[in-house]
Amino acid sequence: MTTTAPTDDVTETMVAVPPAGPGRWKGTLVGLGIALAVLLAGLAVPYVVTDTYRMSLVVDATILSLLAIGIGFLARHLGIISLGHGAFFGAAAYGVGIATTNWGWSPTTAVGFGILVGTGIALVMGLLVVRASGFGFLMLTLALSQALYALSVQTSARPLTGAHDGKLLSYDRDQTFLGLGQADVMNPGLFWPMAWVALTVCATLLWVVGRSRFGTTLEGIRENEERMRFSGYGTFGPRLVAFVLSGAVASVGGALFAINAGYVSPDILGFSKAGDSLIAALIGGFGLLVGPIVGTFLFVYAQANFNFGGNLHLFTGMTLILVLVFMPGGITGTFQKLYHRMRKGRR
Amino acid sequence: MNAAQLLNGVALGSLLMVLSSGLAMIYGLRGVANFAHGALYMAGAYIAYSVSDRAGFWLALLVVPLALAVLGVVLELAFFRPLQHRSHIELGLITFGLALMAERLVVLIWGESTLRVNPPEFLQGTTSFVGIEYPSYRLAIIVIAVLLAAALIVWLRSTSIGLHIRAASQDIETAAIMGINVDRVSLVVVAVGAALAGLAGALAAPYIALDPGMGNAFLITVLIVVVVGGIGSIAGAMIAGMGLGIIQTVTTVWSPSLAVVVPYAALTIVLLWRPTGLAGKRVS
Repeated sequence: MTTTAPTDDVTETMVAVPPAGPGRWKGTLVGLGIALAVLLAGLAVPYVVTDTYRMSLVVDATILSLLAIGIGFLARHLGIISLGHGAFFGAAAYGVGIATTNWGWSPTTAVGFGILVGTGIALVMGLLVVRASGFGFLMLTLALSQALYALSVQTSARPLTGAHDGKLLSYDRDQTFLGLGQADVMNPGLFWPMAWVALTVCATLLWVVGRSRFGTTLEGIRENEERMRFSGYGTFGPRLVAFVLSGAVASVGGALFAINAGYVSPDILGFSKAGDSLIAALIGGFGLLVGPIVGTFLFVYAQANFNFGGNLHLFTGMTLILVLVFMPGGITGTFQKLYHRMRKGRR
Repeated sequence: MNAAQLLNGVALGSLLMVLSSGLAMIYGLRGVANFAHGALYMAGAYIAYSVSDRAGFWLALLVVPLALAVLGVVLELAFFRPLQHRSHIELGLITFGLALMAERLVVLIWGESTLRVNPPEFLQGTTSFVGIEYPSYRLAIIVIAVLLAAALIVWLRSTSIGLHIRAASQDIETAAIMGINVDRVSLVVVAVGAALAGLAGALAAPYIALDPGMGNAFLITVLIVVVVGGIGSIAGAMIAGMGLGIIQTVTTVWSPSLAVVVPYAALTIVLLWRPTGLAGKRVS
């Protein structure tokens, strides 16, 4: 096999390998400082975006970004593309719905429970799928999440999931999610801090993990799994941990989504949800951590503004093709390339 | 369970067989799971609707494969050939984008409402077969599909282009070194694969209702069939397609809520047990 032969590995053209080496700890501290500054600055968003509809779009995009960075983390560090993350997002959302509505738990506990459910499903699915790579991985994650979707819409699952009708969340008037009542959580300005803190904390966590020794191990597996095994590294464990971690981040998104929307419909478990999120992440680019976030914000913006005549999928499909053909690193990847070229030119 | 239900399974299996053999051919040669295959199947069904409306169903069975072969040539020349050095996943995702677009284009051309195609007059009734009255058209689907599968196997086994296709599916680089024009082989394979998908759509049109979601609903099952059958193995895809069609129909009779999970369970079990599929030998 020559090196130019196409493989099932996305990394060649889609991911730029970040620099590693000395000064890593210093860099991490600087990064954490920046993350904290971004977190604090972001809290001011509701004072800038005063329009409720716009603000609700921003909150939606923030919650969906959690799903996208989960998918992006796997693509970036292991070079595998998952179509199954909708399952964790959806399972966490249903977990919240069932815990509040059927069991009368307080929303705060229910969110914790939802995240556990999503992560648990990621663990079970991970045990089955992480050995596969390339198309095998894509198909297995797709198949298992579709199986979960198919089960959730069964008539026998109606008391729990509401089948095709979806599930409306209800809890007592005096029960709150971290101090917000049922009317308040649907107010995007009031819900914003939860979504924003969750996104920045999860993104920072993924960033730190990516820079750690563990992240380097993952990159070794991505580049050449066989060679990593020859070098005495177990590859199953790290792959599983990375998969569960990315599933947990998606679950956080799903749990917050359920609380914020107050309604869970089966299509969030479905193929099109994971597909949309994957497309958003691809358009944003996998090379940088913020790529999937940029992509998701663009996607939500486009969905709200260009959906005339129901032609959204026509435009999404077209954009996806154009990005993959002409700018393989996505939007952020293209900017990264331009930046590197400019720096080279200056030297 | 009775013979009629078993025959329903065989009819579904026949459609899966025709559809997945085309997908398996493209998969074997280009290494790309063509997510647009469901869209090709849907296009076949809708074109069959328009043609049979004006000129009868038999002409549709002739026109549809030709039209879809042209579409396949476009697909090969516009995407598969120029992008063959990209990763397979990227190419697969491009076809995914094409499938998204196709679903909407069909709505723009034929509208959102469900359409129906009538089978030819003499196939509209039922036929006595192994002691039961069975819809004639479904029997026709089975007969045509089995003939097609046989023709495809003979074509691949006994013609020189068939030999080249098998060689290129085994190892595209070595085949190119041995003097096989891989680009030409690929063009033929994608055109034939698309034509088969269209034909499956045209055959299915009088049997099912036409709606813009039909392609993607079927696509996942067909992808599963190809992976279960073994990467790039046409015989494997045919056997897995027929098997899955029968198992799914039989399980539906027995327990409908179990039946929906059958393809996914089958895929998971097969991939865990034999990661390259039932008939697959290669690792990549």
